[in-house]
Amino acid sequence: MMAVVFALVVAVMLIGGGIFTLLAAVGVVRLPDVYTRMHAASKAGTVGSGLMLVAAGLHAGEFAVLARAFAGFFFFVLTAPVAAHLVAKAAHHAGYRLSRGATCDDMRDHTKK
Amino acid sequence: MTAETFAQAIVLFACSVALFLMCVAFFLTVWRVISGPTLPDRIVALDMLVAIAIGFLAVIAIKTGFNLYIDIAISLGLVGFLATVALARFVLTQGMPEDDRDPLATTGARHGKGPTQRKQRPTRRGRAR
Amino acid sequence: MVTLFTGIVFAIVWAAVTGSLSPLNVVLGFLLGLMALWIIRRDFAGTRTVVRPGKLLSLLALFVKELALSAWRVAVLVASPKMDLRPGIFAYPLKVDRDIEITLLANLITLTPGTLSVDVSEDRRFLYVHALDCSDPAAVKRDIATGFERKILEALR
Repeated sequence: MMAVVFALVVAVMLIGGGIFTLLAAVGVVRLPDVYTRMHAASKAGTVGSGLMLVAAGLHAGEFAVLARAFAGFFFFVLTAPVAAHLVAKAAHHAGYRLSRGATCDDMRDHTKK
Repeated sequence: MTAETFAQAIVLFACSVALFLMCVAFFLTVWRVISGPTLPDRIVALDMLVAIAIGFLAVIAIKTGFNLYIDIAISLGLVGFLATVALARFVLTQGMPEDDRDPLATTGARHGKGPTQRKQRPTRRGRAR
Repeated sequence: MVTLFTGIVFAIVWAAVTGSLSPLNVVLGFLLGLMALWIIRRDFAGTRTVVRPGKLLSLLALFVKELALSAWRVAVLVASPKMDLRPGIFAYPLKVDRDIEITLLANLITLTPGTLSVDVSEDRRFLYVHALDCSDPAAVKRDIATGFERKILEALR
């Protein structure tokens, strides 16, 4: 009985991670500009692959593997915002503009002054 | 059917579903890498591809039972992060490449109203900001 | 004291990554952590940070909650047939001023629903934040100021 519950937890995490990753990819395709695409890639993408990694760690059933899986998850959560931040900063400095529907861009106004 | 084999069947089924979802995600992201339209778009999509590859590795770790794949996934995450940082530094130092100067290119194809609206702007405008 | 605390954290991380909790391994991790700290000791000079573990844990809990929520929000937004986007970049006036606090705040903002930090201004007074829904920047600013920034100030000062 325990094994079935455990397997169900792993299965839900795997499929949940897969769905998040898929939606992140859909977001990367559908969203209008670089900055909004970054939202999808850095949040849903990280959570998706992190969930799957933790599911793999749980399925192994060893403390060592689970600890490593969590360390990996923590690492991704730590690096994803840094990477997104750097790409966004570089894109804005290089002069890539926001999409047509954008309401405000304080950064451009500030650096203009 | 004992509980053990039932549990195994559940996990294997979830693995197949996850692999299918990841495959679709993979091809969608590859489409974004190819179609661009700008360099940062491709960088973001490549970063996303690394995340998808990590997901693949996690599923393969479960399917084959080799826990070493988790370490590989962590290393891949590290390498992917460094690659993204390096590419971002490249954009930062090199500025916007010639291909991306078109003012409509950054707005994405869905919001662009076609080439008729294109105004003749000095190409340095993008850099001036 | 701070060095000791950081060394213990490093030892725990080492034990987690190598996957063995034997005392010898933890001691090895602690020594490696101290060595790593010794190598970067120049960058540590002059920064005295007070850490309140309780507040830090509450910050961590808030962070995990916001991370789950933000992934969910982005997923729902992307899956909805008609995306309602009002993207924009607004300048957030920073109350925190030290490197570690700004880094922490920028990272936390990136992983919260609908916001992504883009840059810090030269004089470090503003954090530029890209928001998916920028129709009401004042409300988002208020949320950050009363949420994360207050928690960071509580945890690290």
